[in-house]
Amino acid sequence: MAALEIDNVRKVFGSKTEVLKGINISIENGEFLILVGPSGCGKSTLMNSIAGLEDITDGRILIGGKDVSGSSPKDRDIAMVFQSYALYPSMNVRDNIAFGLEMRKVPKEDRLKEVDRVAKMLQIEHLLDRKPSQLSGGQRQRVAMGRALARKPKIYLFDEPLSNLDAKLRVEMRTEIKKLHQNLGTTIVYVTHDQIEAMTLADRIAVMKDGIVQQFGTPQEIYDEPANIFVAGFMGSPAMNFIPAPIQKEQDQLVAKVTTADGRTYSLPLGQRGAALKDYEGRQVILGVRPERISEVNITEVEREDVVVVRAKTEIVEPTGPDTLIHIDLNGVEVGCRVAPDSAVKAGEEMDFMVDLSKAVFFDSETEARI
Amino acid sequence: MVNTHMAQRSWGFWINRGIIHALLIAAALFYLLPLVVMLLTSFKTMGDIRAGNLISLPAEFVIEPWIKAWSSACTGVKCEGVGSYFFNSVQIVVPAVLISTAVGAINGYVLTKWRFRGSELFFGLLLFGCFIPFQVVLLPMAQTLGWLGLANTTAGLVLVHVAYGVAFTTLFFRNFYVNIPSELVKAAQLDGAGFFRIFWRILLPISGPIIVVTIIWQTTQIWNDFLFGVVYGSGDTQPITVALNNLVNTSTGIKEYNVHMAAAIIAGLPTLLVYVLAGKYFVRGLTAGSVKG
Repeated sequence: MAALEIDNVRKVFGSKTEVLKGINISIENGEFLILVGPSGCGKSTLMNSIAGLEDITDGRILIGGKDVSGSSPKDRDIAMVFQSYALYPSMNVRDNIAFGLEMRKVPKEDRLKEVDRVAKMLQIEHLLDRKPSQLSGGQRQRVAMGRALARKPKIYLFDEPLSNLDAKLRVEMRTEIKKLHQNLGTTIVYVTHDQIEAMTLADRIAVMKDGIVQQFGTPQEIYDEPANIFVAGFMGSPAMNFIPAPIQKEQDQLVAKVTTADGRTYSLPLGQRGAALKDYEGRQVILGVRPERISEVNITEVEREDVVVVRAKTEIVEPTGPDTLIHIDLNGVEVGCRVAPDSAVKAGEEMDFMVDLSKAVFFDSETEARI
Repeated sequence: MVNTHMAQRSWGFWINRGIIHALLIAAALFYLLPLVVMLLTSFKTMGDIRAGNLISLPAEFVIEPWIKAWSSACTGVKCEGVGSYFFNSVQIVVPAVLISTAVGAINGYVLTKWRFRGSELFFGLLLFGCFIPFQVVLLPMAQTLGWLGLANTTAGLVLVHVAYGVAFTTLFFRNFYVNIPSELVKAAQLDGAGFFRIFWRILLPISGPIIVVTIIWQTTQIWNDFLFGVVYGSGDTQPITVALNNLVNTSTGIKEYNVHMAAAIIAGLPTLLVYVLAGKYFVRGLTAGSVKG
């Protein structure tokens, strides 16, 4: 049975502003769902609708098979961690965690036991008597999670829980959340605009834009087979390269043509993908290649059929430590390539790059959908 | 280090400092002067007042004027002092302040955390209440009190002050609560708390500063009110401001300045006390929300 089912949910503010335009998402028990998208895409509205903090205009929301579309937040058996943590300022950590239990008339002894259990799990036992104002950002984050954990609800909602933390702490807490999810096997819906958080944490990702789910799938599906240019560009950092390229037939095989800034032209073989691109012969498509698929020449792989060596002038060289990002010009657009630091040359010099087309994707240049 | 720094400061710096301090002290003395004159006069005998000047110290220190002002000075036909009127004022001020503050707090809570269609318009209209002069409402209010059977009663005066004060108290609480993150309320909702529980357990415990501001403001306003008191109160229900006026304007016999001054200080004492005791919270409350807590 689906833990959470969102069935054709629409939300209209006022009379015109349609924020959610028919959302369909379904996740199983214990799954970690991430709603990701740029600001204004409706992900927070969807989260609030699941929580019952906002009414939906149309459609149904089912939690554990039960239609909760009209239920008040407290009857939905969910807990939420807010971006600002929303800890009750006048209560100490213990009372913050126990508040939800108290409202649900859990006897005092059981409440204290539960607080101790949660505090132990999150290692905040020494903070129980402090007020939220006496805690650091990371500690507040833990308490906010503790408050959600104490009630053992059916679904946990996380609304950009890490965005107020500094970069280092964010990575730590990300791992912590992942660990927690693995240990407890809870169902989690998590909103973020950070695509790395989405990739690292999720079992399933729903990429949203303009109130529409652009793609719903596992992180790897979304990374390797993005549904359209928006998803491809949003997921992955540095972003995927989009190279407009004409499709031609050469020796009974379809190829995409690319030209470097100094006029060298290369044919990129499409291999088995050619079948799908049959109708595009003689037309322009958008070739999507991730930067890590354009690297320095590597003897073991260069012999493969779907690998082409391209010589091009480097324009910008950006060392990041583990690898170096080099920008070259192909078909008039800037293309990022990820090479090993040792093989990087100086900006302005020429270099051989190995373009691996095994994971290349093609988009229709008009609809921007993947072919 | 500090000393060498001090030495390095130029003469210009110290001259500037001197001028600033002199001006501030002069301003402080100027504002304190009326109070000093009142205090000195209230402890003098009438002979002393006639003979000496305003700011001379009492030749003979007497407290009879205070006793007379409290218990036997004539306010119109009655000669019972202002003491009973002082308690009239207390009976008006305490319930009026408490009720208007409570209503303002609930209003502010609703207007920020439970917005409804038209709540902004509602707040806008309520704000008009802050700009309506007392005189405008005199006649309609008199009519209303008559209908309600509350004319010339303490309850009537309390009602008038509550009605007039709610605009201000709502404004105060609304502006305070608008800076409290709404996520607190959402979190409490998810935790299972209802409308009043959230107010009582989450918002009220952090409302200290704004409650103090509102209470000081309302106490001062209502205690110092003369117009409503003289129009809607009569005889036994009149507040001390009206009694003070009657005392000073009673035209039989000589003008006992020492008694008048004592009565005036008695009338002003509670507001003075409120500021002394809670003044720092007042300043703190007014600036609350402007910086992160």
